[in-house]
Amino acid sequence: MEPHLVGVLTNIGMIAFVALSAYLLLLVGEISFGQQAFFGIGAYAAGIGTAVLDLPLGLALAIGAIAAAIGQLALALPTFRLRGLYFAMASLAFAEMMRIVLELTQFQVERDGELVGPNGAEGFRGIRYIFERGIEPAEFLLLVAALLAATLALLAVLERSRFGRRLRMVGEDELLAALSGIDVFRTKLAMAAAAGALAGLGGGLYAHASTYIEPRLFDVMLGVHSLAYGLIGGLGTALGPLLGVGLDIGLLESTQMFAGYRMIVFGGLVAVLLIWRPRGLLDERLLHRLARIGRR
Amino acid sequence: MAHDLAQNTVDGLMTGSAYAMLALGFTLIFGVMRRLNLSYGPSIMIGAYLGTLVHLQFGMGAAVVALVTVLGAVAAGFYVERLCFAPMRGQAATASMVASFAIWMQLEELATLLLPRHSYPFPALIARPPFEIAGILIRADRLLTLGAAIAAMLALWLLVHRSRFGLALRATARDRATARHLGIDVDRIGLIAFLGASALGGLAGMLVIAADQQITPMFGMWATFKGLVAMMLGGLGSIPGAVIGGLLLGVVEAHGQWFFGPQLRDLLVYALLFLCLVLRAGIGAGVPSAERRI
Repeated sequence: MEPHLVGVLTNIGMIAFVALSAYLLLLVGEISFGQQAFFGIGAYAAGIGTAVLDLPLGLALAIGAIAAAIGQLALALPTFRLRGLYFAMASLAFAEMMRIVLELTQFQVERDGELVGPNGAEGFRGIRYIFERGIEPAEFLLLVAALLAATLALLAVLERSRFGRRLRMVGEDELLAALSGIDVFRTKLAMAAAAGALAGLGGGLYAHASTYIEPRLFDVMLGVHSLAYGLIGGLGTALGPLLGVGLDIGLLESTQMFAGYRMIVFGGLVAVLLIWRPRGLLDERLLHRLARIGRR
Repeated sequence: MAHDLAQNTVDGLMTGSAYAMLALGFTLIFGVMRRLNLSYGPSIMIGAYLGTLVHLQFGMGAAVVALVTVLGAVAAGFYVERLCFAPMRGQAATASMVASFAIWMQLEELATLLLPRHSYPFPALIARPPFEIAGILIRADRLLTLGAAIAAMLALWLLVHRSRFGLALRATARDRATARHLGIDVDRIGLIAFLGASALGGLAGMLVIAADQQITPMFGMWATFKGLVAMMLGGLGSIPGAVIGGLLLGVVEAHGQWFFGPQLRDLLVYALLFLCLVLRAGIGAGVPSAERRI
């Protein structure tokens, strides 16, 4: 494969994780403006794992995902009762606090006569694991794709299960769900942990693909984009957010289509699309219809 | 020390009055529509860019530029309302918000196509040195911002609470379906509230940019988030709340900047916001936001 295409596909795969994390929260009815924080936590934790502590990549990625899940739970516990704009703004405040804390964090050690580790607003350089091990970009893409495929398969099973139906009930009407005997608190916390872990995994991969991260990358623009990807691609299936990311990064950012006018065209198309399909291209109704055809 | 505190508080109140106007605009839109317009700041920015264009191309003075800025913001607001809010009925609040985000990206690119450099000069409204009252330095253009904010708030309060239109507006904000049954044209009320909010935002944005004497493409994001934070600090959905939230944000920022520098200032603001949101849930638990009235 040509290098440009490999880069684009890797990018789509990594951003898909944070889009999926926003999607999981949307399923239980929470709009988050703060998923960039957990992407950032995962990136920093996994980066420290390989670059500072010399851990293997797999372990570092796991640590990134766990750290992000813990972060998301720390946000979910005090904000569990908040809904709509209240939750959205609380998650934004949390994410901005996290970004500023990263700007203030200094944790550098000397390795091979060079300082590595987070250096405040200057960023975190030298996360060179995949280069030092001679891992090819195509091999790294394969890792991203395998992890994403496993995640999507897991979510597909989850959505068909009783738990999946419970999720959508909580998202639809919390009170009604509680009255039907669903433990809303536990359902939402479970979803928060999963969403945090997915964002953190994406962040860990991102840190290793780009070798350099800085707090500014994890600002609210990333968070709102992640949210938008789900609504563009569709909220009926976990493939929706992936489709949204693919349309934005794959079709527009990478090809030089409409150079200079890209956002004018894309922004307008998204607005019109949302008038036509307020819950995205692959929405629940379409999925339901497809399932009926499949059964026949 | 006491002098610093007093100076910071006065500075904060003046900056905060612009935040309060932005928060009032957000409150007006959210109160009537129950939807979040992320394009609020970028619409104001389009107005300011058109104002700058008139200034650079035709050498127009501050008064014309101010007028073009406000009218431009209203025109952009009209576009956003027609495209992202009017066509989406019922439960599609999230779709409206995401659509307004998409239009934000569109407006930002439009602004950089109009004027591609990173920053442009914007004419000052009053170009005279600051004066002193009881040892406190006061800039005339900031004082004008405070005055304009007070006038705008009074006008809005009178409109909402003392006019027939205001009655219809409050009815729509409280219960859209009932208002419709009573013969109120809720879509028209929504559009007028939206345009009024855009005009208010345009005025606030113009005053801020004229005091800074420059405009950058970051202004849209700045205005959206300052307005949102001020509105939420004041407790979503009331006119006095938006004003208090805006002033509080201004004062906290001024003190934070003076004592701790810009990074910790922002940390302080977001920590305060987070705390306000979490505690409100405790106090107001069981009160769905839809029942809060403007």
